Amino acid sequence: MSGPLHPAARCHALRIRSNRSPHPTAPPGLWIEDVPVPATHPLAERRRAGELARPTEGLRRVLLRYADDTCDLVIVAARDQWDRAALGRLTVGESVEPEAGQSVGPEAGRPAATALTPTASIPAPAWGLADEGPALPHLFALDDGGDEASWLAALAVTLRRHDPETAPVIGTDHGAFTVPEAVTLGELKPCPAEGPALAGLLFDDAELPGAYAPCLAPPFPLTLSVFKDADGWQLRCDHLSTHISTEIAAQFTRYLVRVHRMILTEPGTAIDDIDLLDEAERDRVAALGRPSRPLVTTPVTVPEAFARIARAAPERIAVTDGAAHLTYGEMDERSTRLAHGLRERGVTPGDRVGVCLERTAELVVTLLAVLKAGATYVPVDPAYPADRIAHTAQDAGLRVVITRLPEFPDVAGCEPAAPEELLNADQQLAHAPVPPTATAPDSAAYVIYTSGSTGRPKGVEVPHRNVIALIDATREEYGFGTDDVWTWFHSSAFDFSVWEIWGCLLTGGRLVVVPYFVSREPDRFRDLLVAEKVTVLSQTPSAFAQLLDVDHTQLSVRMVVFGGEPLDARMLLPWFDRHPESVCRMVNMFGITETTVHVTEQTLTRRLALAATRSVGRALPGWHLYVTDPSGRLQPPGVAGEICVGGAGVALGYLGQEELTARRFVPDPYTGGTMYRSGDLGRLRPDGRLEHLGRIDSQVKIRGFRIELDEIRSVLLEDPDVRAAAVVVRRDAPDDAATARIDAYVVLSGGDPVTVRKRAAGILPDYMLPTTVTALDTLPLTANGKLDTARLLAPATPTAPTRDAAPVTAEDELTERLRQVWSEVLGTPVGLDDDFFELGGNSLFAVRIGAALRAQGLPSLRLRELYRHPTIRGTVRGLATSDG
Amino acid sequence: MRLHGKSVLVTGAARGLGRATALACAAEGADLTLLDICADLPGVPYPLGTMGQLEHTAALCREAGAAVLTAPADIRDLRAVREAVTRAEDRFGRIDVAVNNAGIAAPSGKPVHEIDEEEWSLMIDVDLSGAWRVIREVGKAMSTRRAGSIVNVASTAGLVGYRHFAGYVAAKHAVVGLTKAAALDYAPTKVRVNAVCPGSVRDDAQAEGRMLAEIARALEVPVHEHEKTFVEAQPMNALIEPEDVAAAVVFLASDESRQITGSVLTVDGGFSIR
Repeated sequence: MSGPLHPAARCHALRIRSNRSPHPTAPPGLWIEDVPVPATHPLAERRRAGELARPTEGLRRVLLRYADDTCDLVIVAARDQWDRAALGRLTVGESVEPEAGQSVGPEAGRPAATALTPTASIPAPAWGLADEGPALPHLFALDDGGDEASWLAALAVTLRRHDPETAPVIGTDHGAFTVPEAVTLGELKPCPAEGPALAGLLFDDAELPGAYAPCLAPPFPLTLSVFKDADGWQLRCDHLSTHISTEIAAQFTRYLVRVHRMILTEPGTAIDDIDLLDEAERDRVAALGRPSRPLVTTPVTVPEAFARIARAAPERIAVTDGAAHLTYGEMDERSTRLAHGLRERGVTPGDRVGVCLERTAELVVTLLAVLKAGATYVPVDPAYPADRIAHTAQDAGLRVVITRLPEFPDVAGCEPAAPEELLNADQQLAHAPVPPTATAPDSAAYVIYTSGSTGRPKGVEVPHRNVIALIDATREEYGFGTDDVWTWFHSSAFDFSVWEIWGCLLTGGRLVVVPYFVSREPDRFRDLLVAEKVTVLSQTPSAFAQLLDVDHTQLSVRMVVFGGEPLDARMLLPWFDRHPESVCRMVNMFGITETTVHVTEQTLTRRLALAATRSVGRALPGWHLYVTDPSGRLQPPGVAGEICVGGAGVALGYLGQEELTARRFVPDPYTGGTMYRSGDLGRLRPDGRLEHLGRIDSQVKIRGFRIELDEIRSVLLEDPDVRAAAVVVRRDAPDDAATARIDAYVVLSGGDPVTVRKRAAGILPDYMLPTTVTALDTLPLTANGKLDTARLLAPATPTAPTRDAAPVTAEDELTERLRQVWSEVLGTPVGLDDDFFELGGNSLFAVRIGAALRAQGLPSLRLRELYRHPTIRGTVRGLATSDG
Repeated sequence: MRLHGKSVLVTGAARGLGRATALACAAEGADLTLLDICADLPGVPYPLGTMGQLEHTAALCREAGAAVLTAPADIRDLRAVREAVTRAEDRFGRIDVAVNNAGIAAPSGKPVHEIDEEEWSLMIDVDLSGAWRVIREVGKAMSTRRAGSIVNVASTAGLVGYRHFAGYVAAKHAVVGLTKAAALDYAPTKVRVNAVCPGSVRDDAQAEGRMLAEIARALEVPVHEHEKTFVEAQPMNALIEPEDVAAAVVFLASDESRQITGSVLTVDGGFSIR
């Protein structure tokens, strides 16, 4: 918002307390106000605040006389006419004229030396977490005021740490400055700069009596004022809550004071070595990432925990698979027999056993059997391509793979076996304990392969104790128990299934197998949820979006857990229409395979969905998280950095990849344990909630602009016609960065993609506007239920239909020129039968088309004609008939 | 507080609806400039507000936490209005809200052909032109700032006729007209102009109102009889309290009504329904 600076931002004020009224009657130019309460009364405080917030075009002096005979003299003045020295002289009753040559009107020009020029509009920084809440000034006492240059340097260092991408421009009352980067603090030298300033510095070392307010409203979104009054050197921070929240402003100011002190006392410090956070602040920020309640867990193995549940009620149904049921007792028995069989095959504790079966009751029994045998299960999805299956078998060193695949890939040393081949026929063994194993809660329960964005899939080794901790961290909060019916929707090779299977079976619930084909057909899936009276549903947002498309009124789900993908909370609104928060709890969990499925939990409400929250919540009990900069230092809350996760969920590491493990699983400097560096981008909010911002390596640059694909997607989802959206970046020529373009895919509930793109154009800057918007019936999903970008086909480049290119006649030429004009004016390629209005045409565009046609000497086009024939083909025909 | 930090000017603030409005604004965090004629007018058969009453309103507002400027001024005098507005702008930097409350109910009580030239002119000069003068003086600055709210206190006499009150009825109808025309003039600059039409308001002792008594006297009926007539005429079977009218003014003054302009809000217990 440029234009004249708000009067309150041009004024400063001084307040001086005295014990008796210096003025029995008001001299000219002094307003006397009797305040019918003592000076300490809240009403008196309100009056003082009122006077100190009231701007003037010139000068105002108000004497507040309180009931206890004390007085406050409040002087408010336009700072370009009465500087601080003038304010000081005014307090002792001197009459001071406004500075000569200064104009009063805000419109008139003012000498640059003292002018606060309005800053051009500057967008709110992401780290400011603007909340439009109260914006109270923050005041800090300083030991040493330094000088203007030292503060500009300190501001530049602090701003760069908050936003490394943007060169800081700092406004003052005599022009804007920047501070070029340097190696040490002492080398930082401000120099004049141009451009909009987010932060501004008002520095003045004249000493004043009383209490000074450097501005009545911040002239810059973040205004730092350094001055000396009756209480000594002060730093005051005023901020706009449209740009920066009050917590972030307060913390910014603390960091600024710390950096400034270092500039004065340790100018030789290398700038890269500076930590904005001192020890106390590091402790505070580290504590922010910890959960609100402690984890109470007893480390046992998964089979031990299962045995306890099975013993309690062996007749209760554990797994439902179609029409078949398996009780806890039956499951216990079968898995024991299978475990014996595995032992007989030579499987020994600590071995890894491949499990490559369809999602069936048999698969759960097999997983449990592997664990009972003291081994580690390595799930392999039979739907995976053969070379991926082979890679897993090889990488994990599998000697035994339990599978029904008719042709398991040939891997040296790896022996496929069907479950029945392993099942020991000896019924007596069903109740015989599996020979004791040395399995400890710290040994690996499973290895799940994750496909990182680069390189081959890596096997993540997760110990038993982590799985138990995950259940213990959530059981009470979500009230999981024997009445619950869980779905098993996800591939066993996707760790969301660890949550579904063990979350259910270790809390005594009933697990309903969702066969692959049911999981891909929303109405069949819905029918299953209704028929089985499912209560706990775990879904990726992409899969849940498809469920929302079918009638879901009859569900008895009491809890939905989201995982596996970022969730756009707005998509839940239609769900909340049917299933109020009080009936069904919706929980978004951010998680990583390397930290055992989940890390954080955020209960979503209609209010949060309306606000499109990006929060994934706080850490689960036992888990904790940090957000760090590239050097591993804690980032201040608000500032984006790498999410690091420590605590009960941290996996053992990557199987057989010591070097990679050492790089990603690093010592946790605050607890002494291990933390995992996720490669995910996030920011911690001042209340400890995490915002997940995507993968660090998924940020793309197009023609120099940094693009957040999530942000584009988010804008598309705001369109009332868009139910789901995906955005990808493609290059027409893979080696040519200049050919990069953004393709968007939307699932529509009405309207058309052209309108969606037009509306997005009203919000997104040009460089973020998708080049194409393609409507799809559904978005393609991977086997894990996540968005499958590989299956989003590149949109066909629109071209004029070739069949019109036959013999060149006068009419063809007219058609072609019309097509060029329309395309140019409408800014989109136009086909011969495209409807002008559907392409976003309106009367203004029609006028422009008419003008362009006239300029080319073509027959002009009446708006009425366009309404009658809104396509090029129709227009040409219309023109032909009217000519004849 | 719905008027926090706003600078509000109220005319006829010494007593009655003006006092109630000033107090309601103070309670909502406004700072106040209080105007009143603080003198009697030849031709008006009853005493008008006094300096003492105006200062009492100011004291009550200060107790509620407001900064208050009192400005005795006759709204028949454009220069006096301008001076008061200038003082208010000096003191408070600007005027956000102007409430045109000042008005007289008499001379009245006779058929239209018996009103003489002076009586007619006096009624129009105070009740209609007074409001116009204040709008004239505050409107330009509000337009420049592209913010402001003007509330004209008209009357049910601005909507229907009353026997033997031709001057008053004509003036109040004209205030409604002025409201609509000014609302259109200022709409492009976001300055809003609205009218409140109170029915018969109780002469509250604390507010020191006396309108109802004066109307009764003009009609030569005892006050209690006059009150009874109006209670019966107002479907909700009660007289209006000054606070009820003040609440409507506060709403129209506040940003809650930011899309409301040119409207006429009746506070009459249903009197004008039929």
